[in-house]
Amino acid sequence: MSFLQTIIDHINYIGAVAIFVIGLHTVVTHSNLIKRIMGINIMGMAIFMFFVAIGSVTGGKPPIIDGDGGPYINPLPSVLILTGIVVVVSITVYSLSLVIRIYETYGTIDQNELLKRMQEEDES
Amino acid sequence: MNDIIIKTVVRLIIPFVQIYGIYIILHGHISPGGGFAGGALIGTSLVLYTLVFGIEKSKEKFSERVSEFAESGGIILYIAIGLIGLFVSGSFLTNIDSGFPVGHPGTVISGGMIPLLMIGIGIKVASTIITLFHALIEEEEA
Amino acid sequence: MIIQIPVISLVFFLLMALIVPLFKRRNFAVTTTLGLIVLLIVWVLTVVLVRDVYLNGPFTYAFGNHESFIGLELLVNLFSAGFALFMLSLIIIIYVYSTSDATEGIAEKEYGRYYILLFILLFAMFGILYTNDLFNTYVFMEILSITTVSIISIKRKKENYTASFRYVMLNEVGSLSYLFGVALLFMVTGHTNIDLVAASIQSSFDDYTANIVTALGFMLTGIGIKAAIFPFHIWLPDAHSTAPTSSSAILSGLVVKLYILIMIKMLFRLFGFDIVSAMNIHIVLMMIGAFGMIMGSVFAIGQTDVKRMLGYSSIAQVGYIVLGISLGTVLGLQAAFFHVLSHGLMKAALFLSVGAVIYHKGVRKVKDFNGMASEMPVVMTVFGLAALGMIGIPLTSGFISKLNLGLASLDANQGYLIIIIIVSGLLNALYYLPILIAAFLKSNKPGDLGLKVEPIPRLMMVPIVVLGLLIVYFGLFPNMILSWFEEIAVVLL
Repeated sequence: MSFLQTIIDHINYIGAVAIFVIGLHTVVTHSNLIKRIMGINIMGMAIFMFFVAIGSVTGGKPPIIDGDGGPYINPLPSVLILTGIVVVVSITVYSLSLVIRIYETYGTIDQNELLKRMQEEDES
Repeated sequence: MNDIIIKTVVRLIIPFVQIYGIYIILHGHISPGGGFAGGALIGTSLVLYTLVFGIEKSKEKFSERVSEFAESGGIILYIAIGLIGLFVSGSFLTNIDSGFPVGHPGTVISGGMIPLLMIGIGIKVASTIITLFHALIEEEEA
Repeated sequence: MIIQIPVISLVFFLLMALIVPLFKRRNFAVTTTLGLIVLLIVWVLTVVLVRDVYLNGPFTYAFGNHESFIGLELLVNLFSAGFALFMLSLIIIIYVYSTSDATEGIAEKEYGRYYILLFILLFAMFGILYTNDLFNTYVFMEILSITTVSIISIKRKKENYTASFRYVMLNEVGSLSYLFGVALLFMVTGHTNIDLVAASIQSSFDDYTANIVTALGFMLTGIGIKAAIFPFHIWLPDAHSTAPTSSSAILSGLVVKLYILIMIKMLFRLFGFDIVSAMNIHIVLMMIGAFGMIMGSVFAIGQTDVKRMLGYSSIAQVGYIVLGISLGTVLGLQAAFFHVLSHGLMKAALFLSVGAVIYHKGVRKVKDFNGMASEMPVVMTVFGLAALGMIGIPLTSGFISKLNLGLASLDANQGYLIIIIIVSGLLNALYYLPILIAAFLKSNKPGDLGLKVEPIPRLMMVPIVVLGLLIVYFGLFPNMILSWFEEIAVVLL
């Protein structure tokens, strides 16, 4: 039972790590370029969840001081995550625009197909 | 999209979205939100306008030159406020020590330089979102 | 006033990047001159800073006068200021070159954008060097990778798009791994300031071993991907060979080194070498470095494109630096630092001289280099000097770094590493010497020995010659710089 209890107590961390691995798997194995960008996003979101989970306090309130005190959650991770989200958004936009360019030049967004077409061009 | 219902509704909604965005930017230090969230709201309202009325009309309202100035201006505002701290009390971005008004906790004029910084961030975020959206659309049409 | 210099240089770079678009409608020379002035001002300021740090010792700079456990902090010591000075000097040399050769493959209206990116790149580099905060390092790393990839894809060619896409994907995996490591450390320590985290790790290592070791693994992997350490190198050759010439020099000579410097900061200041060696991570690093030294050179041998070959050679050279770090001694770190410097100079010289060949003749294949020395004597002499330095011939700075690396491995009782160093040097010779032989000894037009200076712009020639002179200078008089590096290494250990 104690093993199960450990899992239940740490479900937020375990969940974040599981999502991280799902994202990594998507980036590494899928050949569709858009899906790989999605994988990056999933990885990022997993880390953000992990960060927010670290900062949470049981029974804590949002850290807005309105007079009645009480335990607040740690605001620092949330602030860090805001920066992280901005970064991942800009990376996503950048890579999506690259995919548009790749599609315009090669007419495909599949990695394997892309390699084939590049080799054909090298030969000709 | 030439549907008159959508056009009218969007025309009605956009001012409210933008005012709400400005509200969130200015209240960033006493409630959830801030420059990024509010700027994203304003940016999204402009994206909505582009979606409904097309990119040409949107460019008339918010031209490339304006967005260039807004993007640089947002950061320059931030740096300028930071430099005030550097010159007055010897450290970049110093808040209360360099004489920014503190006011009463919980009112809009409190938190010193933070609302001013939030305005800079809001301008930057709103203009960046709309510029990125325009760039992606133009890429598709070209 | 001196303690404001790091912030002021960051502000200068950012403002310069913002000003460039406003000069879009003016003559382009205005922008480049202004940029050069900014660079020179910051260079002078950094020299003053280094002198002050050398005399009065390190100091920290807190943003907004906050306490270090709340606010951001910059740490200025001989390590950060010294390497900032080195990188800025090298960038000024490359910048002067790029003013007349930015044209290679970049559309005319994109010139301004290239300089915007260059200054944001500098901003991020200085930020990474000076910052004393783990999360701040992550943010600057992301700024650096976005600007780097934009510089790669600014040339609107087909292969640039695929190269930069691969770069984005792998680098993003790298930086997210790093961020995950930061999250794990934050979970244990509750800080992101490097000094506080380090103190906290030392006191709580026994209680939270799993967390700290996992964090170390994630962070090392992440930075390893970004620094192109051997098994994670696949993005590098494409990216560096398709970029515009002057930025290839910056990417290969400086940006990759920057990640190595982050790694040094992490291993020695954050975790401390005791924990690293207790986990046997230095042995893993040693093997990775040795493999990289051999395999990078082996890959390079088969290449027909000179710039691609230089890219693979960078992987081997990163291996040398990692090997020096993994020894964990003052001598090893000193050799690694010296190799950061000498490889930066040599790789910049190689890329710039190949760039001059591409500019003048429009060829970049190995087989087209026959008799090149009679057509472009000065450029090919510098190319030859740098190539000999890569192989490790005496009188060049490459020889000094290999000698130091060998001495360091003897000192650490790892004498067999000398064999690897020598084998790698021989492999380097296998792919650099054919080019030199073809350029200097073969000739397309026999009897044509009328040596004349090649007709390339003077602003391109001067940086190349300066780099060649510096390579020889550091080969002949390395003692001053070595003693500096020794001081830095002693502080880190």
